[in-house]
This record gives sequence, structure tokens and C-alpha cells, in this order.
Amino acid sequence: MEVSPLCVILVKSDSKGDRLLFRYPFQNCENKEILNKSRRNPYTLPIVEDLLQSPTVSSSNISKGVLVGFSDEVLSSLFAVKPDLSNRKFELKVNDVRFVSHPTSLQLRNKQSHKDESGLMLINIVFSLSALASHSVVKCYHDLSERIGIILRHEEKRRGYVSEQTQTMMAAHDDGYTNNNGSAFRVILEKCTLANNIKKLYEDLCSSGLVSIRLNRWIPFSFCLPQKAHQWHLRGKIVEPEDIDRCLLALRPYHSLLLLYPVEHLVDFTALDGSPSLVRMLSQYSPMKNLQTLAADSDLTLSHVFQLTAHLVYWAKATVIFPVCSKNKYVIAPNASIHLNSPLMEKYSMSFKGGNLMRALNEFSLPTSLGQKTNPLCYPSQQSALVKSIIWMLQHHLLVQLHTYIQYMPTGNGLSTSRSFKKYLKTPSPRTSSVLSTSFPEPSRTESESGASTVSEAPDFMRNFNLENVSFTSTEDDKQEYQEELLLDFPDDERSQIFKIPATNTPEDLKLFARLCRKGYFQGSHHVEEIMYLENLRRSQLLQLLDKFRDVLVTYETEDPAIAMFSSSCS
Amino acid sequence: MNSTTTKKTTSGTKEGPIRCIFFCEFHHTAGPIISCQIPENYISKELFDSISVYIITKAELQKSTITITLEDYKVLGFPVKIDNKNYARNAFYFNLCFVCDSDARTVQYESVVMKFSEYLTSMEVESSFLSSGKSNAKLSPILRKVLEDLNTRGECALTEGPIATHLKVCQIRSDPDAVLDHQVPVFVKELPPHQWDLTTQQVTPYIDGFNHIARIAALSDVDNNLVKACVQNLVYYGVVSLVPLFQYGNIYSTTPKLRSLAHDTDLQKRCLQEVARSHRQNPNLRDVFRTYSAMTRGTTIKDLCTRFNMTNLKINERKLVQFGMLEGLIRRVHKYPIVLGESAGLQKVFTGNFNVDEICCATGVTSQQLEEKLERDQNVILLWK
Repeated sequence: MEVSPLCVILVKSDSKGDRLLFRYPFQNCENKEILNKSRRNPYTLPIVEDLLQSPTVSSSNISKGVLVGFSDEVLSSLFAVKPDLSNRKFELKVNDVRFVSHPTSLQLRNKQSHKDESGLMLINIVFSLSALASHSVVKCYHDLSERIGIILRHEEKRRGYVSEQTQTMMAAHDDGYTNNNGSAFRVILEKCTLANNIKKLYEDLCSSGLVSIRLNRWIPFSFCLPQKAHQWHLRGKIVEPEDIDRCLLALRPYHSLLLLYPVEHLVDFTALDGSPSLVRMLSQYSPMKNLQTLAADSDLTLSHVFQLTAHLVYWAKATVIFPVCSKNKYVIAPNASIHLNSPLMEKYSMSFKGGNLMRALNEFSLPTSLGQKTNPLCYPSQQSALVKSIIWMLQHHLLVQLHTYIQYMPTGNGLSTSRSFKKYLKTPSPRTSSVLSTSFPEPSRTESESGASTVSEAPDFMRNFNLENVSFTSTEDDKQEYQEELLLDFPDDERSQIFKIPATNTPEDLKLFARLCRKGYFQGSHHVEEIMYLENLRRSQLLQLLDKFRDVLVTYETEDPAIAMFSSSCS
Repeated sequence: MNSTTTKKTTSGTKEGPIRCIFFCEFHHTAGPIISCQIPENYISKELFDSISVYIITKAELQKSTITITLEDYKVLGFPVKIDNKNYARNAFYFNLCFVCDSDARTVQYESVVMKFSEYLTSMEVESSFLSSGKSNAKLSPILRKVLEDLNTRGECALTEGPIATHLKVCQIRSDPDAVLDHQVPVFVKELPPHQWDLTTQQVTPYIDGFNHIARIAALSDVDNNLVKACVQNLVYYGVVSLVPLFQYGNIYSTTPKLRSLAHDTDLQKRCLQEVARSHRQNPNLRDVFRTYSAMTRGTTIKDLCTRFNMTNLKINERKLVQFGMLEGLIRRVHKYPIVLGESAGLQKVFTGNFNVDEICCATGVTSQQLEEKLERDQNVILLWK
């Protein structure tokens, strides 16, 4: 609630002085307040004056979501800033109201010849917010004010729009002086397009947080206030732009895009001057495709698809999920607001021919995968209905996906104190030294620790292993030695623990284990699917390995923190 | 004072010290001027001129806290006007302002500025302290003392002169959520040795990390709502944290934060000490981690105790759950009964708004009884979340 503006104010200041031209909403509550005061109970005892304490002044300027207690003159004197403060961020807090704007100075068109002060005008579009509004909200409003300022400056240069509008507003004020205060604003609202724009701006910000206006009937202006825009699908949760940035940084090619609207509804979002690649991507969209496939199908680069995804997520049109597939495990989201009177119940039964949302959700009380719920005897239509139902619930943030994470715990005390692997190698025999130095090059170590391994490196790595394999499996007694050396860079205590596991006798298993371990996949920051993707492994291969090495690898299931911000309570 | 006192808060903005305090007045000929500033020339004359309209304000804005954020500074003031025929313009305008960094939080200083201004106002009314000239010489020791004391100790006592006042910076925290009957308060740090109010004195002995609110109320013979208010107050001061009631039938699930247990050695040390059965022997980290990892939906604590032998592992399962909840390593999975079709009697509360804990606490049924009842009822489904 504290995200919506209380009031939008337009102030100008030029050689003729400063003036509040327009504010919206302008209906004054002052009359009502006076009424309230007169209706005070006549039998109340007057409060005995406390002479020691100065009387406390009521210091709230907000009443019922509307700005009160400031006259237009005061506001105009506050926002007609000195030239030193113009063209930069302006932030003023008075009691519990915060004013944010970007005062913009512009050269009036018809006075361009004069290079003196008279041709300059300062125009200031001020948003008043509750003082509780966070830093990021203030930043967004400042950005909004700055962008409108830029448009106005341009339109003044092109058509003299600002001088024309301000003159109309001034005239209305002068005419309406004799009448009630509100009437001048009403006249302005009828006559001025700028005033109408401000009204639409205010209403858009209060309702959806998505602004779409056309200034001077010429320049389309769109703006998204993410803290508000995401409210419609995540009620009660404020989504900060930083959260979105963090989520987008964590985007991987195996993620997929989930639109929150049907594709047809996004037509007006992509209208006219929209990027054609966005239209192309949406034409190929499916929640079952990952971003990489989507990029290939729509013939766009992966990075461009990332950008488009980021755009859609920021504008609250889409969210990011792991693509729906039969092995995904889903459970009910911890903060899913589900009760019998929820409007979602009806919405669900509308979409699924009388289906009951509660019964559908109940299936996910325990972690359940699509594969578990279908069997080979199922009709394909049943399966597709199930997939649709899951996608519907994902769109409404009722489900979260659980991933399996792996933590390497070689000893009872967890990781060795020297967290990274030992760097030194104990004087190896000349034969092995060459192999080792080629197979574990130093760069690959840092690569893996940062968690960002590239595909280009993997074949190289594999080849070295293959070479090694050929040279070592030739004789039996070499084998033991080879295993020892394979884990040479592990600390001694860890190595002795690992060798207690019978699976170390199989070179393939040990090799795979050592490789994945070195690349840092077992540090709890990569889930099984990610490891499969990055290392090109099959699920069964990896799960078998995890089972064989379960003495040193602990697995746990939880949601993916990177994309969970849209679905879960981890805040 | 120094930047080491600057610390990051959750809201993204910093807690910052006061950089400068200045006293400014409306001079009857020169207009708004800074008559005393500590440290000298922190706010330049040009800068002051451009913001003076927010410092010596119009009459309507008197006695409001006004904060103006500039590129480098944040100026917090409380404009005051004293009406008296003796002054040159029939009124004396002044404002005492604090200056902080532009990205610092200043809400906590608002009440201080207000109180300090009121102190100066009464000094002025009593003895024309401010208007009788030479205010710079008289004020600068006071301002210096306030600046230094508030930045180092967070409080300052002004006892010289005819009037005394005490200034203290109070951190503004967000309001804690309402406390519910079935929640369990746990001390997260030692109760500060203040003179607590009587309710708190009576209630705190029963806060042992296992008693829930309703039980504490019964044990301490204090009204339920008073206990809630008292615990809420303790939550506000960060002395107490609330966790759900522990039962062996409870289900927990791991959160992404569990990862930190494997990597944060400080957390490991605290965890092992906390969850140990006896002080003599700490359990094994891998066992603790494995037990946490085994907490999935569908696994009750009872199941865990039978699967792992907690005595052998030297783990106290109650403490294990408590520590996990407090640190956010695990999360309670609640059961929400929902009645499909007609509802009657107790079923009326099975709407999905209340979980089993809440229902049990409100109706006085044990969770075992309730769950048996739910099991038998074909119309009721249980959602776990």
C-alpha cells in the first residue's frame, strides 16, 4: 500500500514566479474535517493543560491515503527549487510524507532568442509518497519524474507544448480565483492534455503499477513500478528491482519461461514499436521448452532471449521456472494462500471443467513428480490435462519445485579446515607427473570454484582422462597406485575416508566422483539437474554415483533459491 | 565520527553517524544564516542558500520534521518560531539541524532533533539564550558535546544551565507480528538486566524454549493477552524469537539456507554446542547435517528418531529442531485440514485458513485425537505446506 503515490503535483517556476499548476487528486478533505470538529461532544472535559510539556502537534500529513495539510502556495514554494538543485534528484521529507522528483529546467520555445533568464522555465513533477516507502521505490519514482521531464523538454523544443499547457493552466487558475479552489483544477482537467496525462499516471500507478500514456498525443510513455506491478500475482509481497536482478543473474539456459498471461493477451504489450524479436520469441513459446531451445526455435541468440526474458519478468508478465518434465518434484508452496473462499477455487474449476483445486493440490502435499502420477496405461489426454493443471498452479505460485542438492561431507567434522584442495603434490614418479600436470591444470581449479564451468573445457578434460585410463588399467598393481594418485589433491583425511567406500574400486565411478568433486558440484550450490546439464550426464548415472558415495555425500531437497523468489517464503 | 560505526541494515540503507550539527536563525536584516556550526564550514554558504527555504520555512511548516536529501548530505531539521513583541520582526525563527550522509537512515534522529529544539526553545523563552547575541560562543560547546556523545554513546545529557534535558537515539524497528497461542518463545540472547515490568518478571521464568504461550499463561497465572503483549515486546527488542510448538509428530523440511551449515564454521560451532545431548560431548557435524537433510515432507520427527538413533549420535532432537528453526535451516510444514462439501461442528474451521496447531490450541483437542478424526473423515483433505 505504501508504494502508491499519495498525490502527483506539477509546479513551474520562471521569471514570473512559482506556481502550483496542477495536482491530482485535488478533491480536498478539509471541508469534512471541519465538520468533524464541529461535531465534538459538548460534554467532554477540557484536557488540563500540561504547562511543563509543549503541546504535541499532530504530525501526520496523510489522511485516508490522501495528502493533507499543505496549501498550494506552500507546495509551490517548496518545489520551485533553486537553480542549484535543478536537473538532479530532489527528495524532501516532511513529517510522514516524502516528496520525490527530478526538477527539469527547459528553454521556452518562443523565447529562444533571449538568452537571459526569462526564457528558462523550471518544471517539476513531484510524487508524494508515504515516508515509509523504501529506497528503491523512491529511486523508481525519481526515474519516472526524470523521464517525464525529458519528454516535456523535448516537446517544448518541438512544439512549445509546455508553454502552451502552462498558459492554459495559469489562465484557468486566474479565472477560477473567485470560485472554490477545486473548480480551477476541474477546468484544467477538461482543457489540458498534460493534466489528463497526470491523472492517468496517478491512476495507473495506484491500480497496476504499469503506466502507459501518450504525452502530447505523440510520445508514448510506458513505465513499470515493479514493487507494485508484481502485486497482482504475488499479493502482499513487495518485489524489489534488486530481487529481479538477482533472479535474472541466476538465469541458466536450462531454465524456462512461464508466461503469466495467455500469449494472446500480450499482443498489446508488444504493440507497434515493440521489438520484433519479442513477437518472434512469443510465437515459439512453450513452458516445456528451456531457454536454449526457445532461442534455437525462434532463431535468436541465447543472450538476447535472456534479455527478453528479463524484460518480461520485470514487467510482471512472466516468471522463470525449471521446464516442466516428468521427473520434476513439486510440493505446495509454503505461502500459497489457499482457503475455501479463495477466488482461485472458482478460477480453477472454470479452467478445468469443474475440477476441484483442493483435490488437485492435495496430490502435492507430498513431493510428487509428474512421472509418479502417470503410468504407461494412461491416455495421452489425461497426461496433458495433468500438465496443464500443473502449469496453471505454477502460474498462480501454488507449487514450488524441489531440487536435490548435494553436500560433500568427507569427514565427521564436515569439510577439512583447508577448504580448498591441497595444492601441492607429493613428489610423484616421473611417469605420472606429466599426466597429472596435464589433467588438472590450475585454471580448471579456479574455474570450478567459481561454479561457472564452460563447455569448451570439458572435452579437453575428458581426453586427458582417457589417456590416463589407457596407460593405467594395463597392470593390476598399478591400479591401486593410480587411484591414490587420482585423489592426490584431496587432503589425507578425506582421501582415507573416501577409500573406505567400496565403489572406489571401480575406476569409472571414482573418476566421475573426483571430477565432479573438483568442479565444486558437491558444495550445495548446484542441483542434480544443473550438474546433469553442465556435465552432460544422465540422471541414472548421477543418482547411482550419489548412492554409491552416500557415505561422503549428503543429499537434501529444497527449492532453487535462484528462482524461488517468485514462489516461496525464503525472504 | 568515524566510518567504522557505519553498518549496513536490511533495508538497504546504512545506519550512519551525525556528520554535523548547525544552528540557523532568521536574521532580521540578513535573512537566514547559520550562526553556529560544528564542525565549522561543513555546509557551505552557497549550499545553505539553496536549501534555506526548507530550513527557515513558511509558517505552515513550523514544527514539522523536515528532511532534505541532497547529493552528498541529508539535512534534518525542525523549524521553530517563537512569537514575541520584543523581537525585531515580532518573532524569532530558528532551526537546529543534523547533517548525515545522503545514504544514511535518519528516522531515529527525528525525535532527538525535536527534543533538542524544544530544549533550546525553552532556554530562549526563559533567558533569551539564543537571541541575546554571542550565540555562537554559547552554543558551540553544547553542539559539540551533543555531536560527540550521540555518535559515541547514542545518548547525551545536557545538565548545565537552568534547564536539563536528556537526549537518546532510539532505533526504529518494524512492528513485530501478533503472537499466537500455539507459538513458543525462545530466548535468543540473555535478558538484559533491566528493571522489567511485573508481567515480564512473572512470565520470563517460564520461557524455556518448549512451553507455548497458552501454557506459559497457565503456568505463570497471567492473562493470556498480557503474556502475548509481553512476549511481543520481547520480540521487538530481539531478546526472544518465536518458533512453532515442538511435537514428535511434526514435519519439517529443509530450506536453501541449510547449505550455510556446511560452509559457515561459526554456525557449525554454535550448532554443535546447541544440539548436543550433554555439554561434555559434541555430536558429529556430518550426523547433524544428515539428520537435517533427512527432514522432508512426510517424515515426522518420530520417524527420524527411529531411523537414526539420536542417543548414539549424541543429538538432542528438540534442540536440533529449535536451532534449525531459529537459524532458518529448516521450516515447519503445517497441515491445513480442508472440508469438501457440507461442514458441521468442528469442521467449520477446516477452511484452509487454520492449521492443525491453531485448531488444537483453540479447541483444546490433542493433535493426535484431531488427526485420528481427520483420518476417518472422508470429506476432509489435509494440505501440507
